[in-house]
Amino acid sequence: MIDRTVRVRDFDPVLMLAALALVVFGGLLIYSASLSQVGAPSTDDLSHPVMRQALFATAGLIIALGIASMNYRTLGVLSVGLYIAAIAALAFVLVAGDATYGSRRWIEIAGTPVQPSEIAKLVIIITLAKYLADRQEQIGQLRVVLTSLALAAVPTFLVFAEPDLGSAVIFMAIWFGMVLAAGAKWTHLAGIIGACLVAVPFVFAGLVSDYQRERIALWLEPDKDPLGAGFQSLQAQIGIGSGGIWGKGLTDGGQTQLNYLRTETSDYVFTVLGEELGLIGALILFSLFIILLWRALRAAELSRDLFGRLIATGIVIFILLQTFINVGVNTGLLPVTGIPLPFVSQGGSSLITLFVCLGILQSILMRRRTFTVSSYYDG
Amino acid sequence: MQLTPPGRRRWRSRPKKAQPAEVVRNRSILLRALIVVLFSALVLQLVRLQVFQHDEFDARAESNRLRTVPELPSRGLVYDRNGEQLVENLPIFSAAVVPADVPEDQFLTVVAGLAEITGEDAREVALDIERAVKSDDPYTPVVIKQDIDDETAFILRERQPDLPGAQVLVESIRSYTHGALVSHFLGFVGRIDEEEYADLKSRGYGLNDKLGKAGVEYVYEAMLRGTPGYRQVEIDASGEEVNQVAAVEPKAAGNLVLTLDVDLQRQVERYLREGMGSSLNAAAIVMDVSTGGILSMVSLPTYDNNILTDPVDDEKLQPLYDDPAKPMVNHAISEVHPPGSTFKQVTGTAALQEGVANPSTTITSHGLITVEDEYNPDRTWVMRDWAALGTMDFYRGLAMSSDVYFYYLSGGYYESGAEVFHGLGVDRLSAYARDYGLGSPTGIDLPGEAAGLVPDEEWKLDTFGETGVWTLGDTYNFGIGQGFLTVTPLQLVRVTAAIANGGDLLVPHVLKDVVDEENNVIRAYEREVEREIGISDANLAIMQEALRQAAVYGPANTGASQYVSIAAKTGTAEFGQPLADGTYPNSHGWYTAYAPFEDPEIAVVVFLEQGVGATNAGPVAKRIFDYYFSRGNLVEGDQ
Repeated sequence: MIDRTVRVRDFDPVLMLAALALVVFGGLLIYSASLSQVGAPSTDDLSHPVMRQALFATAGLIIALGIASMNYRTLGVLSVGLYIAAIAALAFVLVAGDATYGSRRWIEIAGTPVQPSEIAKLVIIITLAKYLADRQEQIGQLRVVLTSLALAAVPTFLVFAEPDLGSAVIFMAIWFGMVLAAGAKWTHLAGIIGACLVAVPFVFAGLVSDYQRERIALWLEPDKDPLGAGFQSLQAQIGIGSGGIWGKGLTDGGQTQLNYLRTETSDYVFTVLGEELGLIGALILFSLFIILLWRALRAAELSRDLFGRLIATGIVIFILLQTFINVGVNTGLLPVTGIPLPFVSQGGSSLITLFVCLGILQSILMRRRTFTVSSYYDG
Repeated sequence: MQLTPPGRRRWRSRPKKAQPAEVVRNRSILLRALIVVLFSALVLQLVRLQVFQHDEFDARAESNRLRTVPELPSRGLVYDRNGEQLVENLPIFSAAVVPADVPEDQFLTVVAGLAEITGEDAREVALDIERAVKSDDPYTPVVIKQDIDDETAFILRERQPDLPGAQVLVESIRSYTHGALVSHFLGFVGRIDEEEYADLKSRGYGLNDKLGKAGVEYVYEAMLRGTPGYRQVEIDASGEEVNQVAAVEPKAAGNLVLTLDVDLQRQVERYLREGMGSSLNAAAIVMDVSTGGILSMVSLPTYDNNILTDPVDDEKLQPLYDDPAKPMVNHAISEVHPPGSTFKQVTGTAALQEGVANPSTTITSHGLITVEDEYNPDRTWVMRDWAALGTMDFYRGLAMSSDVYFYYLSGGYYESGAEVFHGLGVDRLSAYARDYGLGSPTGIDLPGEAAGLVPDEEWKLDTFGETGVWTLGDTYNFGIGQGFLTVTPLQLVRVTAAIANGGDLLVPHVLKDVVDEENNVIRAYEREVEREIGISDANLAIMQEALRQAAVYGPANTGASQYVSIAAKTGTAEFGQPLADGTYPNSHGWYTAYAPFEDPEIAVVVFLEQGVGATNAGPVAKRIFDYYFSRGNLVEGDQ
């Protein structure tokens, strides 16, 4: 079914180019970081990290274009099924997933490790957007706000139990941002936040695992155990700090090239940038992110309906917080938690999810001029 | 709504229902603000790290990348004056681990593997590694077990790939070829302790280093250690060396040539051991009177320094600590005793120099003198001589070691309150004693030297308070080397050497030369005179003659040798509780002498914890002189 109100010239090339620039940027950093990896395949091998990333990016781009050509409103129809599938996958990973660095996050599908929490973030955005857009008129009711909170809380607890504190925070932030964007009352939000703050000490005492508590303690004092768990955080700061304003030059970072970093192609890829390309490199990267986020917000504002607006808003919050938490962890601003840097970190699940997000944003943009009656999609 | 630019309104699909949409749009401004705030926070943090803390982190990155591996030169060797080697460096294998190279997730594997291979307790191994991690030097290997056998070393090398951070260290240990015979000269080396490490870290000492803990190993540590070099190597995070960046060759240590004559030492040790009788301990020193060099120094009982040198043999160590004779104490320099009549060398020269006596000063000993108590005229004290020696001039007084003669010289003599002989008095006596170097360490290049005590009025008041008023009896006792005065054998031999060499109070020493590997002298020991003792040549000549006569017809003739003419003085210092008849059952035996009389070469002191100077200490000295002046003419075993 071709939607005749689609206008291809409303496709946003700036959004797409900013994202692709980030992917290319990431590719360079992954290349540099993988030079020192023992037993790494050669660069012309398809299993080399850069080649894999390029393959995922190409696949992502095709998927994005495919999704852009589809009507994003179809997602609303699929949302219930997607939500149930995502919850099931998160539960499954908790029971049967592969553990890395003390936390279960992966399942393997056809030989490829898949991180369901990345995909679940997008599913939550779609689910909340659908739920809130359907109750546009009742958003002032506390019941609606609480129900939406419950929808977000289920996956939050599942990733929290992995344990993946970072993703849990992102789920909650997505919920908060989307409920706020949907027009929820400040009094309701303030009440819920107040209740959460009261609960924090209990959660910390009862639910936060030793693993998370230790990471928070080490974030506060990375020098305390320079060769233990604080190693990563400290080495990342040393790497970034030693990069200075101009950096040591791509492939010339000692911290990176002498393997002082772990996961330097994924969660710690920003450290490679900080060390080798310095503050200047970081500012270029941030500029690309800000352009991308600005254009994504533009899609939210131009959306012809609340559903699209909320999805776009959720995607902005998602990318913004992933970026902030990842760089925050790399720079020692936040406790260590494994969150990939959007578009830059090596990782198929993350990259494909992000390109799907881009496709949805383009779909929203290309369908913004459609005149419809509200009953067409409400209800 | 009023915030919306009117021009945009035409794009709104449902102007009538715009209210919630406007709320949404207004709230999207919040999101833009959040983007700005969060990225600003990141930029601020980056500026902090990359601009303000750049230098600090750059230094840390550099030290991450570059590891300095110290290269120690082989520790210097030690020879006796004739080139006989006294110490060897032997290689041993040790199991070690570099804490920084143990991956966090393999810590337990490495600990368990090392514990299994070395047979050490796993908990201890883990604690050792953790201690090193906390010491801010996690790159220095921590020794888990020293002196592992070849097979264990081989197994550890084999399994190294599975135990990241584990290493076989090739270390060097000291082996003292002459053991107990020269242990008081050489001392020993041991592993650096925490306190020493804190002090010496800045001078390039590492956690695993060894250093001298006693003897010349301690005193000449800097020379024996040499100048450590280092290699600066680039390493990756697992501790593998990637390449060498810079290297500074270690500068070879110096080898020490001691003044010690190990052949002489062997004989002196034997004579002293055979002559010490029931003494708990004994000491003998042979010193070069013109240089102050120590040719031999024996302290008995002694200890085998191979037990103490790292790795320490604890089982054999405990008996050394428990032995009441204190074998690890160098009795020649570290313990003080009253010198007895040997001190008459000092009293005599002081009296000559001060004009209190001259060679023809005649005093008669009836075997005792009586002294009126200064504070209670009804009471008189009896001061005994060792015999009623009759009328004596200065030479005979000293040669026969008359106590009465020296009571007169030191305290004078009073009859019915009137002075009939003017003595030195305590002030002058103590001043001369100090001029002879008594009461303070000699400055020998060995650790642990005692100062001894030269008493005076002020000292006695300070020490005993009201009851400590100095009496004439104190002066008398002082004059014959009894009472409060204490000396070390080394201080005493230095007194005799100063008299023999014409008045130079020498700083005794055990180092002769520092030589390089080709035996070229890098640094020669220079004769050091602490001071002139302040006795005129004429007066020294009188004392020399008196000492000569003592060795000919006085009690000191027990030390006379058929091979050489000697000048000598005995001493028998009573100690402990007197018997009912006023005599003492316990006495230290002293003998101090120099030879040849005509052209002095060496001075000798013999100290026996239990004994009489003439009967016990003298014969030991005789055998030393016999050996020293006849060797080369004699076949070993003739003594």
